[in-house]
Amino acid sequence: MGFEPKIIAFCCNWCSYAAADLAGTARMQYPHNVRIIRVMCSGMVHPELVLDALSHGADGVIVLGCHLGECHYQDGNRKALARSEVITELLEDFGYETERYEISWLSSSEPDRLVKAFTGITERVRKMGPVNARDLAG
Amino acid sequence: MAVRTVLEWLNSCSGCEIAILNIGEALVPLLTRHLELVHAPILMDHKYLGQRGDGTEFNIPEAEVGLVSGGVATVEHLQVLLQMREKCRILIALGTCATHGGIPALMNGQDRKEGWEGVFQTRTTDPGCSVPDVEVPAPLDRVYACDEKVEIDLFLPGCPPNPALIAEVLMAVVEDRDPVLPHKSVCDTCPVIREGKGAVSVVRRFLVNAEFLAEDPIDRMRCLLEQGFMCMGPVTAAGCAGGGLPRCIAARVPCRGCFGPVRRDGNQMLDMMNALASNGSDFKSVVDRRSLLRFSGAHGGLRPLRRKSAAERG
Amino acid sequence: MLETKKVGSVMIVGGGVTGIQAALDLADAGYFVYLIEKSGAIGGAMAQLDKTFPTNDCSMCIIAPKLVECGRHLNIRILTLSTVAGISGSAGNFKITVKERPRYVDVDKCIACGLCAEKCPKKVSDEYNAGTGRRKAVFLKYPQAVPLKYQIDPEACLQLKKPGSCGLCEKVCDAGAINFADTEKAHAFSVGALVLAPGFEPFNPEAAGIWGFGKFPNVITSLQLERYLSATGPTDGHLARPSDGKPVRKIAFLQCVGSRDENKCGKGYCSSICCMAAIKEASMVKEHMPGLSASIFYMDMRTHGKGFDKYYEQAKSELGVRFVRCRVHGVEPHGKNGDLRLRYINEQGRQVEEYYDMVVLSVGIETPKHMLDMADLVGIQMTANNFAAASDFSPVTTSKEGIFTCGAFAGPKDIPQSVVEGSAAAAAVAQFLAPARGKLTRGKAYPEERDVSMEAPRIGVFVCHCGSNIAGVVDVVAVEKHAATLPFVVHVERNIFACSEDTQQTLISRIKEKGLNRIVVAACTPRTHEYLFRGTLKAAGLNEYMVEIANIRNHNSWVHAENQQVATTKACDLVRMAVAKITSSVPLAAVTVPIVPKGLVIGGGLAGMTAALSLAEQGFEVHLVEKTDKLGGNSLNLKHTYSGEHVPMKVAKLIDRILLNEKVILHKESVVSGVEGFVGNFKTTLKNVNGRSRTIEHGVGIVATGGKIYSPDEYGYKTIRRVVTSIEFDKLHDLKETHVKRGKSFVFIQCVGSREKERMYCSKVCCTHSVQSAIELKREDSSRNVYILYRDMRTYGERESLYKKARQMGVVFINYELHGKPKVTANGKSIDVELWDHVLHRPLLIKADMVILAAAIVANKDAENLAKLYNIPLEENGFFQEAHVKLRPVDFMTDGMFMAGLAHYPKPVDESVAQALAASARAATLLSRKEVTLDAVKAIVDPAFCDGCALCIDVCPYQAITLVEKDAVTADGQAVKIVAINEAQCKGCGLCQGTCPKRGVYVAGFTLDQLRDQVRAALQA
Repeated sequence: MGFEPKIIAFCCNWCSYAAADLAGTARMQYPHNVRIIRVMCSGMVHPELVLDALSHGADGVIVLGCHLGECHYQDGNRKALARSEVITELLEDFGYETERYEISWLSSSEPDRLVKAFTGITERVRKMGPVNARDLAG
Repeated sequence: MAVRTVLEWLNSCSGCEIAILNIGEALVPLLTRHLELVHAPILMDHKYLGQRGDGTEFNIPEAEVGLVSGGVATVEHLQVLLQMREKCRILIALGTCATHGGIPALMNGQDRKEGWEGVFQTRTTDPGCSVPDVEVPAPLDRVYACDEKVEIDLFLPGCPPNPALIAEVLMAVVEDRDPVLPHKSVCDTCPVIREGKGAVSVVRRFLVNAEFLAEDPIDRMRCLLEQGFMCMGPVTAAGCAGGGLPRCIAARVPCRGCFGPVRRDGNQMLDMMNALASNGSDFKSVVDRRSLLRFSGAHGGLRPLRRKSAAERG
Repeated sequence: MLETKKVGSVMIVGGGVTGIQAALDLADAGYFVYLIEKSGAIGGAMAQLDKTFPTNDCSMCIIAPKLVECGRHLNIRILTLSTVAGISGSAGNFKITVKERPRYVDVDKCIACGLCAEKCPKKVSDEYNAGTGRRKAVFLKYPQAVPLKYQIDPEACLQLKKPGSCGLCEKVCDAGAINFADTEKAHAFSVGALVLAPGFEPFNPEAAGIWGFGKFPNVITSLQLERYLSATGPTDGHLARPSDGKPVRKIAFLQCVGSRDENKCGKGYCSSICCMAAIKEASMVKEHMPGLSASIFYMDMRTHGKGFDKYYEQAKSELGVRFVRCRVHGVEPHGKNGDLRLRYINEQGRQVEEYYDMVVLSVGIETPKHMLDMADLVGIQMTANNFAAASDFSPVTTSKEGIFTCGAFAGPKDIPQSVVEGSAAAAAVAQFLAPARGKLTRGKAYPEERDVSMEAPRIGVFVCHCGSNIAGVVDVVAVEKHAATLPFVVHVERNIFACSEDTQQTLISRIKEKGLNRIVVAACTPRTHEYLFRGTLKAAGLNEYMVEIANIRNHNSWVHAENQQVATTKACDLVRMAVAKITSSVPLAAVTVPIVPKGLVIGGGLAGMTAALSLAEQGFEVHLVEKTDKLGGNSLNLKHTYSGEHVPMKVAKLIDRILLNEKVILHKESVVSGVEGFVGNFKTTLKNVNGRSRTIEHGVGIVATGGKIYSPDEYGYKTIRRVVTSIEFDKLHDLKETHVKRGKSFVFIQCVGSREKERMYCSKVCCTHSVQSAIELKREDSSRNVYILYRDMRTYGERESLYKKARQMGVVFINYELHGKPKVTANGKSIDVELWDHVLHRPLLIKADMVILAAAIVANKDAENLAKLYNIPLEENGFFQEAHVKLRPVDFMTDGMFMAGLAHYPKPVDESVAQALAASARAATLLSRKEVTLDAVKAIVDPAFCDGCALCIDVCPYQAITLVEKDAVTADGQAVKIVAINEAQCKGCGLCQGTCPKRGVYVAGFTLDQLRDQVRAALQA
């Protein structure tokens, strides 16, 4: 069997988790590689969690929040976005490819976007191979 | 009965040992009554392989407690550390180099080969020199904190560590109790005025003085981070405080982070950058962010930048 | 006159979703409820459905929590197998006698083990499965039934018919629950009001003969199809032909069977729900069987509800459901193997013959005789179509004082509208019985919470089969085995339906027997079911937050149906993650805050006024905010409701009542400029036209900001005079403007701005409006030529009689499609309207004196501002988004906020009023309490780690974090700082937690360590 990446997805309770529920209701099929962790807001995700996931063998991490401007907590997703920029920059420092991390926005009624996001990161990471499989020093 | 004690230093500058001296008056009863120093390279000439260097067994005497300063950068450091672990019932990592790699672990952020060549082959002064492969112990792939190689019973970070805390730890061992050590961040004992960091849009280097009135006490000064200076206080372990005030802050200088991360497995750079971004500051205004790990580059905190493949470079 | 002393209890007849909603709202608002159900269990028609439109939610999944809530509510007494036998007394204090038929099973003893049914030798047709399956003489109505008790059907039971002939069930019942000697019981109750919500029955197409129902086995009704598709149905969700079990490859749906058909069925009205039901069912069968072809034969596609047109479009363009505009008049057999033949005239005018494996009759709804008898008994008026008669301005009030009605009994309607009416009836009752509120209710008492703080975790894992929804894909036994290997797990079991009433009882007993202190339920989504299990934990004396749900259905079995192996692996992972998370959970104490017993209603139109008045008449102070200088809103533009009531007069009366009611405080020419606070304690700042601000404290808010008419860019509206919108036309007509008065030719164009790409929704009111105007024009002068150009005539429900009348009066209806829109050009004094005639199959030119555009209703721009201020969402068309389209149609996701009227979606007067009343009822469930319990998922400061560094202060979006000084001091006497959280302001978003570098602050139930444990558990191979 080929390489099956493990993806951790942090989904906010209000939009993306609900969209994932809806994807189920609509019986949309998507890669089985993703494990969803429910958070109240994408802004709740401490960067430490992303690094922790990668260092424990996650091949990719995705944070899914509400569309910018539609955060259930005013601007939590903007905070998440600011953090994401930090994470993306720092991933290089910690020896991970930035492509292993992604943040995306979708509403509770957009399971199709969720499926696209899940499929997207799974396929991308599948091509990259397992996390840290490469010689870090190049 | 006095507690058998050994001191060792690995990749160390002897600052930690000076900190022991700085315990001051309390050192006298410690040395004369409570501790029996059976091995301490800084004080006595005790060779590892016999006094004539003809032994075959690595020799550090057994002891109740061992203090080890410095990180692990070479094969020899590692050998010594393993010996220490074997011989000491309680092994204490003394100083930030031992606990988090310290300044030498800045090396971890670079390619090791290039780093060593830089050290031994400064072409302007040493034309034709090469990295020695005899006499100098072989380097490890990077600089490690002690707990990455052996189990450590007690961590006492600081660059240098606080003499009062060294005394507390030693007395705790003598009295067979848990030492009372701070576990919060530098801010815990920092009395400055704090209101929130939301107004900081960019972070400045400490090239100009902070704003304060010289006649005012420290607790009338605005938080240095809130003044826009890169103060590492919130992400740095407390312990430096003497007379109740963090040392650098007492001098109205931002915290440099020398006690390492506030949570032992924390990451000062990540935490600081995250805190800034969360507060809406432009994290890109931080000059040389990797230097935020200047004291805690071990534990994989600092790594050489990943070389991008040809495809990634485009 | 002596006022009757009002009684604080209410009887609701009908345990369907409507009655349940009314019961819950009334019980929560301080009234004791008797819920009278004719059958052996509540749930009604919704419990029979497989999926619900337009979200395709599993019907049972969304109604089950309500059933359970109803079943365990302290202030609701459910009487099953019961009917009203007599009524006396007067409004406010009725004496109602109820006849309870014998169940022959002692509900106190029955544990629903099912042994009796297993042994029962007698099988009969099963009503719950609409005759598609068979049940025993002793049976459970359906697996999730509330109450979950067996019953004996005396018509079928051998023993009851001939004593001594059987009695097997009695022998096998260890609980001794079988009681053949059970007798009919008569109860007499004193109640203040009566609510009739008995629902409907599907039309039986057998008698008409032409569809071959009852003759050809492969002709089934839409309800039967629901049962075939349902996992709990007779075929476990597999669709096969009843005649030979052959897989269905070609299926046809015939619309309007028993609706819009006076000839064969004697029913002139439209049943309103069948178009959407057929689209849903067609979509579902296509999903069940890829490659299947599904055709829907219809006259007008009536998808007028919120989100319906989009659903229709998706079915058409994405799923490939075929829609054929044509009435098929009969079904014939084709050959001997059960195939069916349909003959019809297609849109090109040709006769076509097609063959199908199965034909589904989209049967309409009707009021059966026994309900008519009951209406007669209690003495209320019915309409000509046999629905409860009510005014459009008080749609849930019957002709008899103190008796209210809601749901399909009051006219054909879908689930959301029924739920709205259930709540509306609750409001109407509460208005009527306001003085008796709280007189007969009992308080909730839970057993004392067990202190588990010193116990090691003892986790119980419950793996739900969800019928076949999970177990059909996931190897649940493997999940059970895996769960048993996890740390701290001391008990694992599987349940067919974890959400059912009996499983709740099981959970409670397991918690007690095994000393469990943490529960993991591997089932569906916590978003709908978490609170159910929390309630169960409370009932078991455990802290309600000690439960974690592993979503192995929505996030797993449903999305990985094609690969059982990976679905099983993932289910194990999800269970492991849930166990990891719950292990470090700690009991959380809920936060209670007092409720300011005042309401704020934004918008002084019909909906806003109705809601405000309803709250005021229930005894609560209400602030009514209107941005203009007069009340009335869009209703000021209307003249008659569809049933002919005079709008200006009714609205004027309503305005009078508002002005006279001293509990209503009016703020005209004011808008909301700032909002603070949270449920129970909002502080809204109003700014009036003079720039003066005023802050109002209120416990709840109702948004009724209305909508507005679309200003068309099409059909020469902005260039040709006498091309007007329908509202403008009404004014001209009213003023007897010359062109209207003298006009001989009028063309109405429907769907102007509606049902188009940028506005894919139906404005709902325009078909009826145009038809009414057309009738009026014809009535004035029958020689006038009046044309209505339409895409689908959507005179739904009893509005259909208007459509019929217009046709009888000679109004010409011409269908057009989106690709062949009419062309409107000025031609001297008249206007040329050109279009393609689908009947004559040639272009048509109409010379019109006036063209009336049925312009769309669009969302108000103000909505965006309110949405931001109150943190309430808008949907894609700018209307407010309800918490759940089916079951919470007037609630916002934000606690304490509700909506009504056009702000939610275009709708006619009666529906706006019903929704306004519903919003008032929902609001009253909060206002009638002294305090509200807030979710305990909030930020908590850990004094062991927080050192007051202040990194989190400005990150909090709610300013809930402040820096305070601790009692402690540093060595040199400095005060030590720490942050503090305002619990009422904190919403638990965790931005602070995501910022703090030292675990100084965490969100209860979502701590960083818990999330990290989940991550690590997920990555454990």
